Amino acid sequence: MLFLLFQLGNDRYVLDASRVVEVLPLLELKQIPHAPKGVAGLFNYRGHPVPAVDLSQLTLDQPAGQRLSTRIIVVNYPDQTGKNLLLGLIAEHATEMIRRESKDFVDSGVNLGVAPYLGPVMMDGKGVIQWVHEQRLLSEKVRDLLFSERMQPA
Amino acid sequence: MNNPGDKLGILTETIAATAYSSGLSSPPVVVNDCWNKIGANGDGTCRELEKFIHCRNCPVYSSAGTRLLDRDLPANYRREWTELFSRRKTIAALGKVSVVIFRIDTEWLALPIPVFQEVVERRTIHCLPHRRQGIVLGLTNIRGELLICVSVGRLLGLEREIKKEKPRTIYDRLMVVQWNSSRLVFPVDEVHGIHRYHPDELKEIPATLAKNAVNYSRGILSWLSKSVGCLDEELLFYTLNRSLT
Repeated sequence: MLFLLFQLGNDRYVLDASRVVEVLPLLELKQIPHAPKGVAGLFNYRGHPVPAVDLSQLTLDQPAGQRLSTRIIVVNYPDQTGKNLLLGLIAEHATEMIRRESKDFVDSGVNLGVAPYLGPVMMDGKGVIQWVHEQRLLSEKVRDLLFSERMQPA
Repeated sequence: MNNPGDKLGILTETIAATAYSSGLSSPPVVVNDCWNKIGANGDGTCRELEKFIHCRNCPVYSSAGTRLLDRDLPANYRREWTELFSRRKTIAALGKVSVVIFRIDTEWLALPIPVFQEVVERRTIHCLPHRRQGIVLGLTNIRGELLICVSVGRLLGLEREIKKEKPRTIYDRLMVVQWNSSRLVFPVDEVHGIHRYHPDELKEIPATLAKNAVNYSRGILSWLSKSVGCLDEELLFYTLNRSLT
């Protein structure tokens, strides 16, 4: 399996690459007033408005650094009906891919309950890499807020 | 300067320099360019070289390259990318056909790429006795193999009279072609190269045209304000092979 590597703070995390549509550089975002924590804004992705979630802000309470290595990872995100919609994830150091088997990852044994998106972990020479389940990133409330507009008939 | 290490070394210096000169707040990226000191571009004393052969295979080298991305965004970076990604993605036309364009006498012609094996310099064509008037020009030596040399120009009626010996030009070449396991050679006056076109670009040949070349053509292609006749390879080689017997 192919994984996309990125960092939150100083730790490394991976996303399943098969869920990734495209990795974009940092784009200009339109702020959304009154948006819940972590929602960075909207951007124009080939003519479609796509919401962007700042992973650093969401998990560590600090916005992602504005660097060349900070990218917007566009993923397929299932809405409440199971239909795939696009969601942008702003992640730092999203510059590498790694190839690992899913059986290389083991259960971390830590379950905080508040972060259902944190998956099993894998150890390598440089430390621990944790798998992020992107479909569980947003709470149901936030997800319905972000994708509610698409529900209305045009 | 072909070495990636050299380029990276120069890159790191220039990045540091521009970061300083533009007065950016963050410190410039400092890269320890070990590949220029002890690596493949340096004195080669690095012990890892035994394992990786060249610095470009070494994880230190690739991680240094990745670290170059840990820089502040250049001015207008977000603006430019935003403009690019707000446009719709255009998908290039599919189903393009590649042809080799060449010239015989004054006519530009094209044949699909798969029939070509190679293009060689003009060389001696040995005449065959009693075979002087047809389209067979003779035999020629291609990589130690004697192949039959034919005149496509004569077949298409492009040469008005059969000249004994054409003046040699620097552009003329011999085209080695293969069709259904028979290999042939034919001389051309000039080879342009490869051109790709979409089948829709082919135009019909005017019905009033009576030239022999028309029978072997698929259509007319406009290329650099010239008209190129795209030949039907099946028909052409069928006739060529038949006229050999």
